[in-house]
Amino acid sequence: MRPENYEAQRQPPSYDYELNIGPNHPGIEGNYAFKLRLNGDRVIAGRADAGYLHRGFEKLMEGRLWIQNLAITPRICVPDPVPMEVSYCLAVEDLCGLVVPERAQWLRVMQLELSRIAAHLFIFGGHAATTGMYTPMFWGIADRDLILDLFEEMTGGRVYHIYNIPGGVRRDLPDGFGERVANTLDYLESRLPDYDNLLFTNQVFVHRAQGCGPISQQQALEWGVTGPNLRATGLKFDVRRDDPYLVYDQLEFEIPTEEPGDAWARALVRRREIKESIRIIRQVVARLPTLAGPIRCPIPNPLAWNVPAGSTYTRVESSKGELAWYVVSDGGERPYRTHVRGPSQMHAVQVLEQLAIGCRIEDVAQIMFSLDACPPEVDR
Amino acid sequence: MTNDLTTWLDNLLAELDGISVRRTSRRRLRVEVASDALPALLELLRGRASFVHLSAISCVDWIDAGQFELVYHCWSYETQSLVSVHTRIPREPGVYISVYDIYTPAAFFERDIHEMFGVWFEGSPDLSKFILTEWDGPPPMRKDFDSEAWVNQHFDWQDYHPDWLKDLEARGGGIAVPPDEQRFSRRTVDET
Repeated sequence: MRPENYEAQRQPPSYDYELNIGPNHPGIEGNYAFKLRLNGDRVIAGRADAGYLHRGFEKLMEGRLWIQNLAITPRICVPDPVPMEVSYCLAVEDLCGLVVPERAQWLRVMQLELSRIAAHLFIFGGHAATTGMYTPMFWGIADRDLILDLFEEMTGGRVYHIYNIPGGVRRDLPDGFGERVANTLDYLESRLPDYDNLLFTNQVFVHRAQGCGPISQQQALEWGVTGPNLRATGLKFDVRRDDPYLVYDQLEFEIPTEEPGDAWARALVRRREIKESIRIIRQVVARLPTLAGPIRCPIPNPLAWNVPAGSTYTRVESSKGELAWYVVSDGGERPYRTHVRGPSQMHAVQVLEQLAIGCRIEDVAQIMFSLDACPPEVDR
Repeated sequence: MTNDLTTWLDNLLAELDGISVRRTSRRRLRVEVASDALPALLELLRGRASFVHLSAISCVDWIDAGQFELVYHCWSYETQSLVSVHTRIPREPGVYISVYDIYTPAAFFERDIHEMFGVWFEGSPDLSKFILTEWDGPPPMRKDFDSEAWVNQHFDWQDYHPDWLKDLEARGGGIAVPPDEQRFSRRTVDET
């Protein structure tokens, strides 16, 4: 909001005051503002204010070819871009009735899980930093970089890959890639006890995170919370298992849950999910050499591609929760309408506003990071 | 068990009047319903069929038909299936009823649709500006809103002609595409 348009809310005289956290603030995730009303250091009310990252992607996509939109999709969520690509491709494949070769599906799973680990490491460190501990943040970002190296080798891009296209993936793995993935996974797994020692046995973090921003299971269901935040309330739900896509029904993995539903439980669920993702990628690496064959199915000329009319809703599990695309085609060369449902649209706005009430000012940043709010998903 | 429950759901929906149900895949059900029957249907889905999770509300502008299509995607954690309820409302005046009392997440989606499409949801708790705080033009996601023409009308084009480009042009180089063939045309909003 421009300063000349800012008008303080008219209130009767009191000792309450207003404080804006964001849009540029180290305690906030991305360009996002959270306007607080405080009494002392207690939050009386909070109001989320988005729009600083609005790029009009849904409108832009209506004016571009189906294949051009692939360049837009990953940019909707910066830390975890792969689920965006994959779910958009799943939608186009569903509309066209394309059957993706099995090898491509396994490659997609590998990419999705690598991205999940990277996003979890990122937010894990961010959460620690909001409690004053910067070492896990440096470690998390440094370890995430190893995954970005793998992405660079696999797809050519570090952050935005655009590796998936409708019908499959763009290229196959380079020689010896499975071995390098295995090495990185071994290293990451050996790091996990260090994270536990540094964070989960650290009394500062224990006292700050336990009981901070609790959500009960009933509240979570009512507010539409999904993903790790929902699993932290004890509900064993994961789109990968309960509404399976790609080849997740052939993989073995646990769905970690915790009971308390507070910031501590949410961090712990993410920590345990890293372990499960490592387990999934190992299965993929073991399976890939047995899968010969094409990595994409034949598609029409992508520059003159009329997708059959219809609509579809495709959901995937991103690192933040349930992510879905509603794509409508009128039989033309461009999508008639695309709508993205990001998980943060729920927990970065309504849920955050609810949880902030009554907490202390220093916990606001922690609640936001423990929910894994991703502002670009809200703004689109 | 999953199959039994969804069959039960099919039967339940088949009893309602003026409703068309189509199973698009094992976990997806497409329901089309008249706009006045939709809140009752959602109430039924949530209260009797355990569809407690409103995944999203999508809005599609069918400008040729003069209608907005609203799609409510509801998920059931028990039967593990997704019901997409489609309904259509007239484009003018674009007023509909809020389902906030049935599904709390609807508040966000209704606010978003109000901002982007200009649909007014009666009874929604908060329809104030959210993403487009500084915006006072027409709702931008409508099909009759032309972004490029809006830009041409409201912003000035700046001629970018630095010295290095002049040097290039003096030597016969420069921008290869003539101005009127460049990607951004000078279309303006039709005043009629």
